[in-house]
Amino acid sequence: MSVLDNSIEQLVQQVSAGEVTASQCVDESISQLKAQNPTLNAFVSDCEEAARAEAAAMDAKIAAGENVGPLAGVPIAIKDGICTKGQRTTAGSKMLENFVPPYDATIVQRLRAAGAICIGKANLDEFAMGSSTENSFFGVTKNPWSADCVAGGSSGGSAAAVAAGISPASIGSDTGGSIRQPASFCGITGVKPTYGRVSRYGLIAFASSLDQIGPMARSAKDCAILMNVLSGHDAKDSTSARNDVPDFVADCDQNLKGLRIGICKQYFENEPDGSGLNENVRSGVMAAIEQLKELGAETVEIDLPHTRYAVPTYYVVAPCEASSNLSRFDGVRYTSREQAKDLIGMYSKTRKVNFGDEVIRRILLGTYSLSSGYDHELYKKASQVRRLIKNDYDAAFEKVDLIAGPTVPTTAFKIGEHAKDPLAMYLADVFTASANLAGVPGISLPCGFSADDGLPIGLQLQANMFGESTLFRAAHQYQTQTDWHLKRPQSS
Amino acid sequence: MPDSKTSAQKIASLARIELNDEESAKVQTEFDSILNYIHQLDQVEIPDGTEPFFGATESTNAVRRDIVVPSTDREIILQNAPDSDGEFYRVPPVF
Repeated sequence: MSVLDNSIEQLVQQVSAGEVTASQCVDESISQLKAQNPTLNAFVSDCEEAARAEAAAMDAKIAAGENVGPLAGVPIAIKDGICTKGQRTTAGSKMLENFVPPYDATIVQRLRAAGAICIGKANLDEFAMGSSTENSFFGVTKNPWSADCVAGGSSGGSAAAVAAGISPASIGSDTGGSIRQPASFCGITGVKPTYGRVSRYGLIAFASSLDQIGPMARSAKDCAILMNVLSGHDAKDSTSARNDVPDFVADCDQNLKGLRIGICKQYFENEPDGSGLNENVRSGVMAAIEQLKELGAETVEIDLPHTRYAVPTYYVVAPCEASSNLSRFDGVRYTSREQAKDLIGMYSKTRKVNFGDEVIRRILLGTYSLSSGYDHELYKKASQVRRLIKNDYDAAFEKVDLIAGPTVPTTAFKIGEHAKDPLAMYLADVFTASANLAGVPGISLPCGFSADDGLPIGLQLQANMFGESTLFRAAHQYQTQTDWHLKRPQSS
Repeated sequence: MPDSKTSAQKIASLARIELNDEESAKVQTEFDSILNYIHQLDQVEIPDGTEPFFGATESTNAVRRDIVVPSTDREIILQNAPDSDGEFYRVPPVF
Protein backbone atom coordinates (compact mmCIF):
# COMPACT_ATOMS: atom_id res chain seq x y z
CA MET A 1 0.00 0.00 0.00
CA SER A 2 1.26 3.47 -0.91
CA VAL A 3 1.46 6.23 1.71
CA LEU A 4 -0.56 8.27 -0.76
CA ASP A 5 -3.52 5.91 -0.28
CA ASN A 6 -4.04 7.44 3.16
CA SER A 7 -6.35 10.34 3.81
CA ILE A 8 -4.69 13.74 4.29
CA GLU A 9 -5.53 13.52 7.98
CA GLN A 10 -3.71 10.16 8.30
CA LEU A 11 -0.79 11.29 6.15
CA VAL A 12 -0.18 14.42 8.25
CA GLN A 13 -0.38 12.40 11.47
CA GLN A 14 2.18 9.91 10.14
CA VAL A 15 4.56 12.63 8.91
CA SER A 16 4.28 14.65 12.13
CA ALA A 17 4.91 11.52 14.22
CA GLY A 18 7.95 10.60 12.11
CA GLU A 19 6.39 7.29 10.96
CA VAL A 20 6.68 8.45 7.36
CA THR A 21 9.00 11.14 6.06
CA ALA A 22 7.94 14.06 3.89
CA SER A 23 10.62 12.91 1.45
CA GLN A 24 8.93 9.52 1.12
CA CYS A 25 5.62 11.22 0.34
CA VAL A 26 7.20 13.47 -2.29
CA ASP A 27 9.27 10.64 -3.83
CA GLU A 28 6.18 8.53 -4.24
CA SER A 29 4.14 11.40 -5.66
CA ILE A 30 6.84 12.39 -8.16
CA SER A 31 7.33 8.78 -9.26
CA GLN A 32 3.55 8.43 -9.82
CA LEU A 33 3.58 11.69 -11.78
CA LYS A 34 6.40 10.45 -14.02
CA ALA A 35 4.78 7.05 -14.52
CA GLN A 36 1.29 8.30 -15.30
CA ASN A 37 1.72 11.71 -16.91
CA PRO A 38 2.80 10.42 -20.33
CA THR A 39 -0.65 8.79 -20.55
CA LEU A 40 -2.86 11.23 -18.63
CA ASN A 41 -1.20 14.58 -19.39
CA ALA A 42 -2.46 15.91 -16.07
CA PHE A 43 0.59 18.14 -15.55
CA VAL A 44 2.13 20.91 -17.61
CA SER A 45 5.30 20.80 -15.50
CA ASP A 46 6.68 19.12 -12.39
CA CYS A 47 8.41 20.79 -9.46
CA GLU A 48 10.64 17.83 -8.66
CA GLU A 49 13.76 19.68 -7.56
CA ALA A 50 12.00 22.25 -5.37
CA ALA A 51 9.65 19.61 -3.94
CA ARG A 52 12.51 17.33 -2.87
CA ALA A 53 14.33 20.27 -1.28
CA GLU A 54 11.20 21.37 0.62
CA ALA A 55 10.58 17.80 1.80
CA ALA A 56 14.16 17.44 3.05
CA ALA A 57 13.85 20.75 4.92
CA MET A 58 10.61 19.58 6.51
CA ASP A 59 12.14 16.26 7.58
CA ALA A 60 14.97 18.19 9.23
CA LYS A 61 12.43 20.35 11.08
CA ILE A 62 10.56 17.29 12.32
CA ALA A 63 13.80 15.64 13.43
CA ALA A 64 14.64 18.80 15.37
CA GLY A 65 11.25 18.61 17.11
CA GLU A 66 9.94 21.76 15.49
CA ASN A 67 6.26 22.33 14.94
CA VAL A 68 5.03 21.52 11.44
CA GLY A 69 1.79 22.66 9.91
CA PRO A 70 -1.60 21.06 9.35
CA LEU A 71 -0.56 19.89 5.86
CA ALA A 72 2.93 18.65 6.79
CA GLY A 73 4.39 16.67 3.92
CA VAL A 74 1.22 16.59 1.80
CA PRO A 75 2.07 16.54 -1.92
CA ILE A 76 -0.25 18.85 -3.83
CA ALA A 77 -0.90 19.68 -7.48
CA ILE A 78 -1.62 23.32 -8.24
CA LYS A 79 -3.58 24.41 -11.28
CA ASP A 80 -1.25 26.13 -13.72
CA GLY A 81 -3.37 29.28 -13.74
CA ILE A 82 -2.17 30.07 -10.21
CA CYS A 83 1.15 31.87 -9.80
CA THR A 84 4.07 30.02 -8.22
CA LYS A 85 7.24 32.03 -7.62
CA GLY A 86 10.11 30.87 -9.80
CA GLN A 87 8.02 28.05 -11.30
CA ARG A 88 6.65 28.49 -14.83
CA THR A 89 2.93 29.34 -14.82
CA THR A 90 1.29 29.05 -18.22
CA ALA A 91 -2.50 29.24 -17.77
CA GLY A 92 -2.51 26.51 -20.43
CA SER A 93 -1.64 29.10 -23.06
CA LYS A 94 1.08 29.64 -25.63
CA MET A 95 0.86 33.28 -24.54
CA LEU A 96 2.45 32.37 -21.17
CA GLU A 97 4.51 29.39 -22.32
CA ASN A 98 7.66 30.86 -20.77
CA PHE A 99 6.19 33.05 -18.02
CA VAL A 100 7.86 32.69 -14.61
CA PRO A 101 6.02 34.63 -11.87
CA PRO A 102 8.08 36.76 -9.49
CA TYR A 103 5.66 36.01 -6.62
CA ASP A 104 3.49 33.27 -5.09
CA ALA A 105 -0.30 33.52 -5.09
CA THR A 106 -1.63 34.06 -1.56
CA ILE A 107 -3.02 30.53 -1.45
CA VAL A 108 0.36 29.11 -2.48
CA GLN A 109 2.00 31.04 0.37
CA ARG A 110 -0.62 29.67 2.77
CA LEU A 111 -0.21 26.08 1.56
CA ARG A 112 3.58 26.29 1.86
CA ALA A 113 3.31 27.78 5.36
CA ALA A 114 1.02 24.88 6.33
CA GLY A 115 3.60 22.33 5.14
CA ALA A 116 2.09 21.29 1.79
CA ILE A 117 4.58 20.60 -1.00
CA CYS A 118 3.77 21.50 -4.61
CA ILE A 119 4.78 18.59 -6.85
CA GLY A 120 3.64 20.07 -10.14
CA LYS A 121 1.48 22.47 -12.09
CA ALA A 122 -1.74 20.90 -13.34
CA ASN A 123 -3.08 21.19 -16.87
CA LEU A 124 -6.16 23.29 -17.62
CA ASP A 125 -8.23 24.75 -20.41
CA GLU A 126 -6.47 27.84 -21.68
CA PHE A 127 -7.09 30.69 -19.22
CA ALA A 128 -9.63 28.35 -17.57
CA MET A 129 -12.01 28.71 -20.53
CA GLY A 130 -13.56 25.33 -21.13
CA SER A 131 -15.21 22.28 -19.65
CA SER A 132 -12.94 19.49 -20.84
CA THR A 133 -9.25 20.55 -20.70
CA GLU A 134 -9.23 20.05 -24.47
CA ASN A 135 -8.46 23.75 -24.93
CA SER A 136 -4.99 23.57 -23.39
CA PHE A 137 -2.03 24.54 -25.55
CA PHE A 138 -0.27 21.61 -23.85
CA GLY A 139 -2.73 18.96 -25.03
CA VAL A 140 -5.80 17.27 -23.60
CA THR A 141 -5.87 15.69 -20.13
CA LYS A 142 -7.33 12.18 -20.16
CA ASN A 143 -9.77 10.82 -17.63
CA PRO A 144 -8.09 8.21 -15.36
CA TRP A 145 -11.28 6.11 -15.50
CA SER A 146 -11.29 5.95 -19.29
CA ALA A 147 -8.47 7.19 -21.51
CA ASP A 148 -10.78 8.07 -24.40
CA CYS A 149 -12.83 10.42 -22.22
CA VAL A 150 -12.14 13.94 -21.00
CA ALA A 151 -11.27 14.67 -17.37
CA GLY A 152 -13.59 17.67 -17.45
CA GLY A 153 -12.50 21.23 -17.04
CA SER A 154 -11.21 23.65 -16.73
CA SER A 155 -9.39 22.12 -13.71
CA GLY A 156 -9.06 18.76 -15.50
CA GLY A 157 -5.41 18.24 -14.59
CA SER A 158 -6.09 18.93 -10.91
CA ALA A 159 -8.96 16.42 -10.90
CA ALA A 160 -7.06 13.73 -12.81
CA ALA A 161 -4.02 14.06 -10.50
CA VAL A 162 -6.13 13.19 -7.45
CA ALA A 163 -8.23 10.52 -9.17
CA ALA A 164 -5.09 8.76 -10.46
CA GLY A 165 -3.47 8.79 -7.01
CA ILE A 166 -0.60 11.06 -8.12
CA SER A 167 -1.29 13.49 -5.27
CA PRO A 168 -3.81 13.29 -2.43
CA ALA A 169 -4.80 16.91 -2.95
CA SER A 170 -4.95 19.54 -5.64
CA ILE A 171 -6.04 23.12 -6.14
CA GLY A 172 -8.37 24.25 -8.89
CA SER A 173 -10.34 27.34 -9.78
CA ASP A 174 -14.04 27.53 -10.57
CA THR A 175 -15.62 30.25 -12.74
CA GLY A 176 -18.72 28.39 -13.95
CA GLY A 177 -18.13 24.88 -12.58
CA SER A 178 -14.44 24.33 -13.30
CA ILE A 179 -13.75 22.56 -10.00
CA ARG A 180 -17.07 20.76 -9.50
CA GLN A 181 -17.51 19.47 -13.07
CA PRO A 182 -14.08 17.77 -13.38
CA ALA A 183 -14.47 16.46 -9.81
CA SER A 184 -17.72 14.83 -10.95
CA PHE A 185 -16.16 13.40 -14.14
CA CYS A 186 -13.15 12.00 -12.25
CA GLY A 187 -14.98 10.63 -9.19
CA ILE A 188 -13.41 12.90 -6.57
CA THR A 189 -14.60 15.66 -4.22
CA GLY A 190 -14.22 19.32 -5.21
CA VAL A 191 -15.29 22.54 -3.54
CA LYS A 192 -16.13 25.92 -5.01
CA PRO A 193 -16.09 28.20 -1.95
CA THR A 194 -18.23 31.29 -1.40
CA TYR A 195 -17.03 34.22 -3.51
CA GLY A 196 -14.48 36.07 -1.38
CA ARG A 197 -13.81 33.22 1.05
CA VAL A 198 -10.45 32.35 -0.58
CA SER A 199 -8.05 35.00 -1.87
CA ARG A 200 -7.76 35.34 -5.66
CA TYR A 201 -4.43 37.20 -5.47
CA GLY A 202 -2.12 35.42 -7.89
CA LEU A 203 -4.87 33.64 -9.81
CA ILE A 204 -4.57 34.58 -13.48
CA ALA A 205 -7.95 36.23 -13.93
CA PHE A 206 -10.64 34.98 -16.30
CA ALA A 207 -13.87 36.55 -14.97
CA SER A 208 -13.16 38.41 -11.75
CA SER A 209 -16.69 38.49 -10.33
CA LEU A 210 -17.04 34.70 -10.80
CA ASP A 211 -13.57 33.19 -10.30
CA GLN A 212 -12.94 31.33 -7.07
CA ILE A 213 -10.04 29.09 -6.03
CA GLY A 214 -10.89 25.88 -4.17
CA PRO A 215 -9.64 22.47 -3.02
CA MET A 216 -9.96 19.06 -4.66
CA ALA A 217 -9.29 15.77 -2.87
CA ARG A 218 -10.73 12.30 -2.46
CA SER A 219 -13.00 13.13 0.45
CA ALA A 220 -14.95 16.04 1.90
CA LYS A 221 -12.93 15.86 5.12
CA ASP A 222 -9.68 16.21 3.16
CA CYS A 223 -11.18 19.23 1.39
CA ALA A 224 -12.19 20.67 4.78
CA ILE A 225 -8.59 20.38 6.03
CA LEU A 226 -7.44 22.25 2.91
CA MET A 227 -10.17 24.88 3.28
CA ASN A 228 -9.02 25.64 6.84
CA VAL A 229 -5.66 26.62 5.33
CA LEU A 230 -6.89 28.40 2.21
CA SER A 231 -9.63 30.56 3.74
CA GLY A 232 -9.48 34.00 5.27
CA HIS A 233 -9.12 37.66 4.50
CA ASP A 234 -6.27 38.85 2.30
CA ALA A 235 -5.45 42.55 2.03
CA LYS A 236 -4.04 41.93 -1.46
CA ASP A 237 -7.48 40.99 -2.83
CA SER A 238 -10.01 43.83 -2.65
CA THR A 239 -12.91 41.34 -2.95
CA SER A 240 -11.63 39.15 -0.11
CA ALA A 241 -14.23 38.64 2.62
CA ARG A 242 -13.57 39.58 6.23
CA ASN A 243 -15.90 36.91 7.62
CA ASP A 244 -14.59 34.68 10.38
CA VAL A 245 -13.40 31.26 9.23
CA PRO A 246 -14.93 28.38 11.20
CA ASP A 247 -13.13 25.09 11.77
CA PHE A 248 -14.49 23.21 8.77
CA VAL A 249 -13.03 19.91 9.99
CA ALA A 250 -14.94 20.14 13.26
CA ASP A 251 -18.13 20.85 11.30
CA CYS A 252 -17.79 17.50 9.52
CA ASP A 253 -18.76 15.59 12.65
CA GLN A 254 -22.21 17.08 13.11
CA ASN A 255 -25.08 14.70 12.27
CA LEU A 256 -27.79 15.54 9.76
CA LYS A 257 -30.78 15.49 12.08
CA GLY A 258 -33.06 18.36 11.13
CA LEU A 259 -31.05 19.42 8.07
CA ARG A 260 -33.40 20.71 5.36
CA ILE A 261 -32.33 19.83 1.83
CA GLY A 262 -33.95 21.60 -1.10
CA ILE A 263 -34.77 19.61 -4.21
CA CYS A 264 -35.04 21.92 -7.18
CA LYS A 265 -37.55 20.60 -9.68
CA GLN A 266 -35.87 22.47 -12.54
CA TYR A 267 -32.73 20.32 -12.10
CA PHE A 268 -34.65 17.15 -12.87
CA GLU A 269 -36.77 18.36 -15.77
CA ASN A 270 -35.77 17.61 -19.35
CA GLU A 271 -35.88 20.18 -22.12
CA PRO A 272 -38.68 19.87 -24.69
CA ASP A 273 -36.15 18.49 -27.19
CA GLY A 274 -35.36 15.60 -24.83
CA SER A 275 -31.95 16.94 -23.85
CA GLY A 276 -31.08 17.36 -20.22
CA LEU A 277 -30.35 15.03 -17.39
CA ASN A 278 -29.00 11.58 -18.28
CA GLU A 279 -31.15 8.83 -16.71
CA ASN A 280 -28.21 7.11 -15.00
CA VAL A 281 -27.08 10.39 -13.48
CA ARG A 282 -30.63 11.08 -12.32
CA SER A 283 -30.97 7.72 -10.55
CA GLY A 284 -27.50 7.99 -8.97
CA VAL A 285 -28.28 11.45 -7.60
CA MET A 286 -31.76 10.45 -6.39
CA ALA A 287 -30.27 7.45 -4.55
CA ALA A 288 -27.75 9.78 -2.85
CA ILE A 289 -30.54 12.11 -1.76
CA GLU A 290 -32.39 9.11 -0.28
CA GLN A 291 -29.25 8.26 1.67
CA LEU A 292 -29.04 11.78 3.04
CA LYS A 293 -32.65 11.36 4.22
CA GLU A 294 -31.76 8.09 5.95
CA LEU A 295 -29.06 10.04 7.79
CA GLY A 296 -31.68 12.37 9.26
CA ALA A 297 -32.10 15.10 6.66
CA GLU A 298 -35.50 16.09 5.34
CA THR A 299 -36.22 17.17 1.78
CA VAL A 300 -38.24 20.18 0.68
CA GLU A 301 -39.23 20.92 -2.91
CA ILE A 302 -37.94 24.32 -3.98
CA ASP A 303 -38.24 26.47 -7.05
CA LEU A 304 -35.30 28.17 -8.77
CA PRO A 305 -37.25 29.53 -11.74
CA HIS A 306 -34.33 31.29 -13.41
CA THR A 307 -32.05 28.23 -13.43
CA ARG A 308 -32.50 27.76 -17.16
CA TYR A 309 -31.08 31.23 -17.81
CA ALA A 310 -27.85 30.61 -15.87
CA VAL A 311 -25.81 29.46 -18.87
CA PRO A 312 -26.85 32.26 -21.26
CA THR A 313 -26.28 34.78 -18.44
CA TYR A 314 -22.89 33.27 -17.72
CA TYR A 315 -21.91 33.42 -21.40
CA VAL A 316 -22.54 37.14 -21.43
CA VAL A 317 -20.98 38.05 -18.08
CA ALA A 318 -17.88 35.82 -18.25
CA PRO A 319 -16.74 36.82 -21.77
CA CYS A 320 -17.31 40.52 -20.98
CA GLU A 321 -15.05 40.28 -17.95
CA ALA A 322 -12.58 38.10 -19.85
CA SER A 323 -12.29 40.59 -22.70
CA SER A 324 -11.18 43.16 -20.15
CA ASN A 325 -8.92 40.88 -18.08
CA LEU A 326 -7.10 39.43 -21.07
CA SER A 327 -6.35 42.84 -22.57
CA ARG A 328 -3.11 42.78 -20.53
CA PHE A 329 -1.72 40.07 -22.82
CA ASP A 330 -0.51 42.37 -25.55
CA GLY A 331 3.10 41.44 -26.24
CA VAL A 332 4.55 44.11 -23.95
CA ARG A 333 5.00 42.39 -20.58
CA TYR A 334 4.45 38.63 -20.55
CA THR A 335 7.21 36.89 -22.54
CA SER A 336 5.38 36.34 -25.85
CA ARG A 337 5.62 38.83 -28.69
CA GLU A 338 5.14 38.73 -32.46
CA GLN A 339 7.12 41.26 -34.46
CA ALA A 340 5.28 43.98 -36.38
CA LYS A 341 6.15 47.39 -37.78
CA ASP A 342 3.96 49.34 -35.36
CA LEU A 343 2.48 49.02 -31.87
CA ILE A 344 -1.10 48.14 -32.81
CA GLY A 345 0.17 45.56 -35.29
CA MET A 346 2.27 43.99 -32.54
CA TYR A 347 -0.74 43.80 -30.19
CA SER A 348 -3.00 42.25 -32.83
CA LYS A 349 -0.52 39.74 -34.18
CA THR A 350 0.68 38.68 -30.72
CA ARG A 351 -2.89 38.01 -29.59
CA LYS A 352 -3.87 36.17 -32.76
CA VAL A 353 -0.84 33.88 -32.73
CA ASN A 354 -0.69 33.14 -29.00
CA PHE A 355 -4.37 32.75 -28.03
CA GLY A 356 -6.28 29.58 -28.88
CA ASP A 357 -9.66 29.47 -30.67
CA GLU A 358 -11.87 29.35 -27.57
CA VAL A 359 -10.09 32.25 -25.90
CA ILE A 360 -10.38 34.35 -29.07
CA ARG A 361 -14.06 33.36 -29.36
CA ARG A 362 -14.79 34.56 -25.82
CA ILE A 363 -12.76 37.77 -26.09
CA LEU A 364 -14.67 38.67 -29.26
CA LEU A 365 -18.01 37.74 -27.67
CA GLY A 366 -17.21 39.97 -24.70
CA THR A 367 -16.00 42.83 -26.88
CA TYR A 368 -19.16 42.57 -28.98
CA SER A 369 -21.43 42.59 -25.90
CA LEU A 370 -19.74 45.68 -24.49
CA SER A 371 -19.35 47.70 -27.68
CA SER A 372 -21.42 50.74 -28.39
CA GLY A 373 -23.45 50.20 -31.56
CA TYR A 374 -23.59 46.42 -31.17
CA ASP A 375 -25.21 44.60 -28.27
CA HIS A 376 -24.14 46.67 -25.27
CA GLU A 377 -27.60 46.37 -23.70
CA LEU A 378 -26.91 42.64 -23.40
CA TYR A 379 -24.55 43.06 -20.45
CA LYS A 380 -27.06 45.12 -18.50
CA LYS A 381 -29.81 42.61 -19.23
CA ALA A 382 -27.60 39.68 -18.19
CA SER A 383 -26.67 41.49 -14.97
CA GLN A 384 -30.36 41.99 -14.17
CA VAL A 385 -31.07 38.30 -14.80
CA ARG A 386 -28.08 37.56 -12.58
CA ARG A 387 -29.91 39.50 -9.84
CA LEU A 388 -33.00 37.33 -10.36
CA ILE A 389 -30.85 34.18 -10.06
CA LYS A 390 -29.42 35.54 -6.80
CA ASN A 391 -32.93 36.36 -5.56
CA ASP A 392 -34.01 32.76 -6.33
CA TYR A 393 -31.23 31.49 -4.05
CA ASP A 394 -32.08 33.99 -1.31
CA ALA A 395 -35.72 32.84 -1.33
CA ALA A 396 -34.72 29.15 -1.37
CA PHE A 397 -32.33 29.51 1.56
CA GLU A 398 -35.11 30.96 3.69
CA LYS A 399 -36.69 27.49 3.48
CA VAL A 400 -33.71 25.12 3.28
CA ASP A 401 -30.11 24.73 4.47
CA LEU A 402 -28.77 23.04 1.34
CA ILE A 403 -29.75 22.41 -2.26
CA ALA A 404 -28.99 18.96 -3.71
CA GLY A 405 -28.87 17.92 -7.35
CA PRO A 406 -26.60 16.64 -10.09
CA THR A 407 -23.27 18.38 -10.72
CA VAL A 408 -23.31 17.73 -14.48
CA PRO A 409 -26.12 16.34 -16.68
CA THR A 410 -23.91 13.51 -17.98
CA THR A 411 -20.84 11.46 -17.15
CA ALA A 412 -17.51 12.31 -18.83
CA PHE A 413 -17.88 12.68 -22.58
CA LYS A 414 -15.52 11.37 -25.24
CA ILE A 415 -12.49 13.42 -26.26
CA GLY A 416 -13.47 15.40 -29.37
CA GLU A 417 -17.20 14.79 -28.92
CA HIS A 418 -18.03 18.50 -28.65
CA ALA A 419 -15.08 19.82 -30.64
CA LYS A 420 -17.21 21.19 -33.49
CA ASP A 421 -19.96 22.62 -31.32
CA PRO A 422 -18.90 25.12 -28.63
CA LEU A 423 -22.51 25.54 -27.53
CA ALA A 424 -22.88 21.85 -26.64
CA MET A 425 -19.79 22.18 -24.45
CA TYR A 426 -21.20 25.28 -22.73
CA LEU A 427 -24.25 23.29 -21.60
CA ALA A 428 -22.02 21.11 -19.38
CA ASP A 429 -22.18 24.04 -16.91
CA VAL A 430 -25.97 24.11 -16.67
CA PHE A 431 -26.12 23.02 -12.99
CA THR A 432 -22.95 24.73 -11.81
CA ALA A 433 -22.88 28.24 -13.32
CA SER A 434 -25.66 29.62 -11.07
CA ALA A 435 -23.54 29.27 -7.94
CA ASN A 436 -20.80 31.46 -9.47
CA LEU A 437 -23.31 34.04 -10.66
CA ALA A 438 -24.82 34.30 -7.16
CA GLY A 439 -21.57 33.77 -5.24
CA VAL A 440 -22.79 30.81 -3.17
CA PRO A 441 -20.58 27.80 -2.33
CA GLY A 442 -20.96 24.33 -3.83
CA ILE A 443 -19.38 20.91 -3.52
CA SER A 444 -19.37 17.92 -5.86
CA LEU A 445 -18.92 14.48 -4.39
CA PRO A 446 -18.93 11.04 -6.00
CA CYS A 447 -22.25 9.21 -5.62
CA GLY A 448 -22.02 6.22 -7.95
CA PHE A 449 -21.14 4.99 -11.40
CA SER A 450 -23.23 4.97 -14.55
CA ALA A 451 -24.62 1.58 -15.57
CA ASP A 452 -24.04 2.59 -19.21
CA ASP A 453 -20.36 3.53 -19.29
CA GLY A 454 -19.09 2.74 -15.78
CA LEU A 455 -18.00 6.35 -15.26
CA PRO A 456 -18.39 8.36 -12.04
CA ILE A 457 -21.48 10.41 -11.21
CA GLY A 458 -21.34 13.54 -9.06
CA LEU A 459 -23.81 14.83 -6.47
CA GLN A 460 -23.76 18.62 -6.08
CA LEU A 461 -24.67 20.33 -2.82
CA GLN A 462 -25.00 24.11 -2.64
CA ALA A 463 -25.31 26.27 0.48
CA ASN A 464 -26.02 29.88 1.30
CA MET A 465 -23.24 32.48 1.33
CA PHE A 466 -20.45 31.43 3.72
CA GLY A 467 -22.31 28.18 4.41
CA GLU A 468 -19.36 25.85 3.69
CA SER A 469 -19.76 24.33 7.17
CA THR A 470 -23.13 22.92 6.14
CA LEU A 471 -21.67 21.58 2.89
CA PHE A 472 -18.88 19.77 4.76
CA ARG A 473 -21.28 18.46 7.39
CA ALA A 474 -23.58 16.84 4.81
CA ALA A 475 -20.83 15.66 2.47
CA HIS A 476 -18.73 14.07 5.20
CA GLN A 477 -21.72 12.36 6.83
CA TYR A 478 -22.67 10.94 3.42
CA GLN A 479 -19.11 9.69 2.95
CA THR A 480 -19.13 7.95 6.33
CA GLN A 481 -21.93 5.76 4.94
CA THR A 482 -20.71 5.29 1.36
CA ASP A 483 -17.44 4.36 -0.30
CA TRP A 484 -17.79 5.92 -3.75
CA HIS A 485 -15.01 8.41 -2.88
CA LEU A 486 -12.65 5.51 -2.08
CA LYS A 487 -13.01 3.78 -5.45
CA ARG A 488 -9.98 4.00 -7.71
CA PRO A 489 -9.54 3.68 -11.45
CA GLN A 490 -7.51 0.62 -12.44
CA SER A 491 -4.73 2.77 -13.87
CA SER A 492 -3.79 4.23 -10.48
CA MET B 1 -23.87 39.83 -34.81
CA PRO B 2 -25.04 41.98 -37.73
CA ASP B 3 -24.58 39.81 -40.79
CA SER B 4 -21.46 41.25 -42.33
CA LYS B 5 -17.84 40.32 -42.46
CA THR B 6 -16.87 43.88 -41.65
CA SER B 7 -18.67 43.55 -38.29
CA ALA B 8 -16.55 40.57 -37.27
CA GLN B 9 -13.44 42.41 -38.36
CA LYS B 10 -14.50 45.59 -36.55
CA ILE B 11 -15.03 43.66 -33.29
CA ALA B 12 -11.69 41.90 -33.76
CA SER B 13 -10.03 45.24 -34.37
CA LEU B 14 -11.53 46.63 -31.12
CA ALA B 15 -10.21 43.53 -29.32
CA ARG B 16 -6.80 43.92 -30.98
CA ILE B 17 -6.89 40.48 -32.58
CA GLU B 18 -5.92 40.10 -36.23
CA LEU B 19 -8.47 38.13 -38.31
CA ASN B 20 -8.27 37.27 -41.99
CA ASP B 21 -11.38 36.88 -44.20
CA GLU B 22 -11.68 33.15 -43.61
CA GLU B 23 -11.38 33.52 -39.84
CA SER B 24 -13.94 36.33 -39.84
CA ALA B 25 -16.43 34.14 -41.66
CA LYS B 26 -15.89 31.34 -39.13
CA VAL B 27 -16.39 33.73 -36.21
CA GLN B 28 -19.55 35.02 -37.85
CA THR B 29 -21.01 31.50 -38.12
CA GLU B 30 -20.15 30.54 -34.54
CA PHE B 31 -21.49 33.83 -33.23
CA ASP B 32 -24.82 33.30 -34.92
CA SER B 33 -25.57 30.14 -32.95
CA ILE B 34 -24.10 31.42 -29.67
CA LEU B 35 -25.94 34.74 -29.85
CA ASN B 36 -29.15 33.00 -30.81
CA TYR B 37 -28.79 30.96 -27.63
CA ILE B 38 -27.82 33.94 -25.45
CA HIS B 39 -30.78 35.96 -26.65
CA GLN B 40 -33.05 33.62 -24.67
CA LEU B 41 -32.47 36.34 -22.10
CA ASP B 42 -34.91 38.48 -24.09
CA GLN B 43 -37.70 36.19 -22.87
CA VAL B 44 -37.00 36.97 -19.20
CA GLU B 45 -39.42 39.40 -17.65
CA ILE B 46 -37.43 41.83 -15.56
CA PRO B 47 -39.55 43.34 -12.79
CA ASP B 48 -39.39 47.15 -12.58
CA GLY B 49 -36.62 48.37 -10.35
CA THR B 50 -34.45 45.26 -10.69
CA GLU B 51 -30.92 46.46 -10.04
CA PRO B 52 -28.17 44.75 -12.04
CA PHE B 53 -26.03 42.41 -9.95
CA PHE B 54 -22.33 42.70 -10.71
CA GLY B 55 -20.94 40.33 -8.12
CA ALA B 56 -21.28 38.89 -4.67
CA THR B 57 -19.27 41.55 -2.87
CA GLU B 58 -21.69 44.42 -3.12
CA SER B 59 -19.60 46.39 -0.72
CA THR B 60 -17.97 49.77 -0.84
CA ASN B 61 -14.47 50.13 -2.21
CA ALA B 62 -11.74 48.39 -0.22
CA VAL B 63 -9.41 51.24 0.65
CA ARG B 64 -6.08 51.31 2.44
CA ARG B 65 -3.91 54.02 3.84
CA ASP B 66 -1.98 55.87 1.16
CA ILE B 67 1.49 54.87 2.25
CA VAL B 68 4.38 53.50 0.24
CA VAL B 69 5.14 49.85 0.93
CA PRO B 70 7.79 47.58 -0.59
CA SER B 71 6.85 45.98 -3.89
CA THR B 72 8.49 43.65 -6.39
CA ASP B 73 11.72 45.02 -7.85
CA ARG B 74 11.34 46.53 -11.30
CA GLU B 75 14.30 44.46 -12.47
CA ILE B 76 12.58 41.20 -11.53
CA ILE B 77 9.33 42.22 -13.22
CA LEU B 78 11.19 43.17 -16.40
CA GLN B 79 12.70 39.67 -16.61
CA ASN B 80 9.42 38.52 -18.22
CA ALA B 81 9.46 41.33 -20.79
CA PRO B 82 10.08 40.28 -24.40
CA ASP B 83 12.14 43.46 -24.85
CA SER B 84 13.29 46.11 -22.42
CA ASP B 85 15.75 48.99 -22.14
CA GLY B 86 17.07 49.75 -18.70
CA GLU B 87 13.99 50.35 -16.59
CA PHE B 88 11.57 50.57 -19.53
CA TYR B 89 9.63 48.17 -21.75
CA ARG B 90 10.68 48.63 -25.35
CA VAL B 91 7.94 48.43 -28.03
CA PRO B 92 7.69 49.15 -31.77
CA PRO B 93 6.83 52.74 -32.81
CA VAL B 94 3.22 53.84 -32.35
CA PHE B 95 2.92 54.96 -36.00
